Amino acid sequence: MFNIPLVKNMLIMRGENVEEKVEGFSFPAIVKSQIAIGSRKKAGLIKIAQTKEEAISLCKEYFNRNIAGFQVEAILIEELVTIEHEYYCSIALDASGRQFYLIASKEGGIDIEEVAKTIPEAILKESFSFQEGLSEELAGKVARQLGFNGKQIDTASQIFRNLWDITFKLEAQLVEINPLVLTPSGIVAVDGKMILDDDAAFRQPIVQKLEQKKLTELEKLSKQAGFSFVELSGDIGILANGAGLTMALLDVLSELGLHPANFLDVGGGASKERVYKALELIFKLNPKAVLVNIFGGITRCDAVAQAIIEALNNFSDAPPMVIRLTGTKEKEGIALLKEAGIEAFQDVMEAVEKLDEVLSE
Amino acid sequence: MNKMYISENSKVVVQGITGTQGMFHTKLMVEYGTNIVAGVTPGKGGQEIYGIPVFNEMKEVRAETGADTSIIFVPARFTLAAAMESLNAGITMTVIITENVPVFDMIKLVERANEKGLHLIGPNCPGMLIPDKIKLGIMPDNMCHYGDVAIISKSGTLSYEITKAVGDENIGVSAYVGIGGDPVRGTPMQEAVAYYSDDSKTKTIVLIGEIGSDEEEKTAEYIKEHVSKPVIAYIAGKSAPEGKRMGHAGAIISGDFGTAQGKIEALRKAGALIADTPWDVPKMIKEVM
Repeated sequence: MFNIPLVKNMLIMRGENVEEKVEGFSFPAIVKSQIAIGSRKKAGLIKIAQTKEEAISLCKEYFNRNIAGFQVEAILIEELVTIEHEYYCSIALDASGRQFYLIASKEGGIDIEEVAKTIPEAILKESFSFQEGLSEELAGKVARQLGFNGKQIDTASQIFRNLWDITFKLEAQLVEINPLVLTPSGIVAVDGKMILDDDAAFRQPIVQKLEQKKLTELEKLSKQAGFSFVELSGDIGILANGAGLTMALLDVLSELGLHPANFLDVGGGASKERVYKALELIFKLNPKAVLVNIFGGITRCDAVAQAIIEALNNFSDAPPMVIRLTGTKEKEGIALLKEAGIEAFQDVMEAVEKLDEVLSE
Repeated sequence: MNKMYISENSKVVVQGITGTQGMFHTKLMVEYGTNIVAGVTPGKGGQEIYGIPVFNEMKEVRAETGADTSIIFVPARFTLAAAMESLNAGITMTVIITENVPVFDMIKLVERANEKGLHLIGPNCPGMLIPDKIKLGIMPDNMCHYGDVAIISKSGTLSYEITKAVGDENIGVSAYVGIGGDPVRGTPMQEAVAYYSDDSKTKTIVLIGEIGSDEEEKTAEYIKEHVSKPVIAYIAGKSAPEGKRMGHAGAIISGDFGTAQGKIEALRKAGALIADTPWDVPKMIKEVM
């Protein structure tokens, strides 16, 4: 659809009959798990299958694996090509400069991050504006700098321009081909990656389609409820508001040797229902205690208090909770909690001390 | 170039005044003393909210009331259109409270705003506060009194926390600016620092940053060259796990930029004082005062 030359390939979706699908494909071939994480080759999620049988058993293995909370939803099988050289190319948004970069390197392949750190001069970076887009001249210049010659220059520069076309049409923040491979029969893209804008999902159907696939089960639940959530390895449940404040709270706890079980930013203007759902989710992690830290701006402390009271009424086995409420409607919120016999703090350090006390009981 | 200027004389229009958030925060802003002269919601012109007249479009508002400042509460998908309406009507200062505005909309909007001389703050931000004079945003209003410390923050609630801690120690604030944490936005951190570095009422600058992007690093370079006032900085995210979205391009564009440690080092080298926790900030302000 976007005219990027690819190698011969076939996609197998979870649930499809693997034996039937690989019939007729020529081996050896590369078997690639399609999953939204980086460094797949290093993680053993991309392997060469010498025979059809090997490919079938690899596919089954991948579909059965759980990788950092993700399931492999699809597998791509690709023809093995003769690699003469591996390149890297991408279009990336430079957010603070409000412009885009065409980034390219002769040193493509799985070690590109290492290359960027150790020999930054091996990475070509040309900026262009959103209004002007990637010009033929600039694309051609980069293609020549990569050492392409003759007809290859046109092919490579057309690929770069098509990458910009994808970026523009899908509202992407990154569209990357790595590696872009020179074979005896021409230039082909062997692997790629995109970073799309979740906030553009309402007008980008592809984002809606992909959105659900990259999340763990608990993250899916939280996404539906409208808050951001990351599972961590500790034993203290955290419900806070604002990414910055939540992060600062985690920093403070970590420095005191306390270990958060999660990051949960309940989001701006959280309703009672949303806070209740957040608590429900945190209880699922079976934390030793829960720390609630709300500084109400657009979020109202009275709504938060109501959610806490309701959750404590409905979950008889809820872990001990330490609550800190301040900001918009704090008096009302604290009064509600008091009526229900729940202590609440206005000072965060007092709350953290109380938490430490609760944990050592 | 004093475009970031608002005062008790600013005439404010609320875009999206009939929505839940718009209405709730209009009331709080009016109670604070903000001079709200009008509201806008397409199709709802003719109504009144707390005695404030509601109009269908910004051009009407401008003609009828002479409003010069706007604050936007409309849903994300209409934010670009609402801000363009402000811009075309001749508004000179707009705060966008709305979160989840698509990045490409912001790229388009900021370019146009820069061309036309509209000063934008946000999106996804708490707005701006000149204590005891004007509240143009959603921040709690009992945080602090007027004074000579400017607080500039990417984060919302974290800045409330710090501003309140500052206020609790009886330190006054010349301006509180929540610039927002989205990747593309109206006011880059460096621009806000430059403004308050020149502002005669500000003696000390507090900077609140967080992991991601290269803004704190860019700001550090600016501070090193141009800022002689004391700068106290707090950066959140020291213990944060590496984000899932850190792809190749992030690493390539920014190298070691983006981590809390990288930002802290850059700011320290530029002469800023680094607060270990948010609650250390007031004490540090007193030390430089």
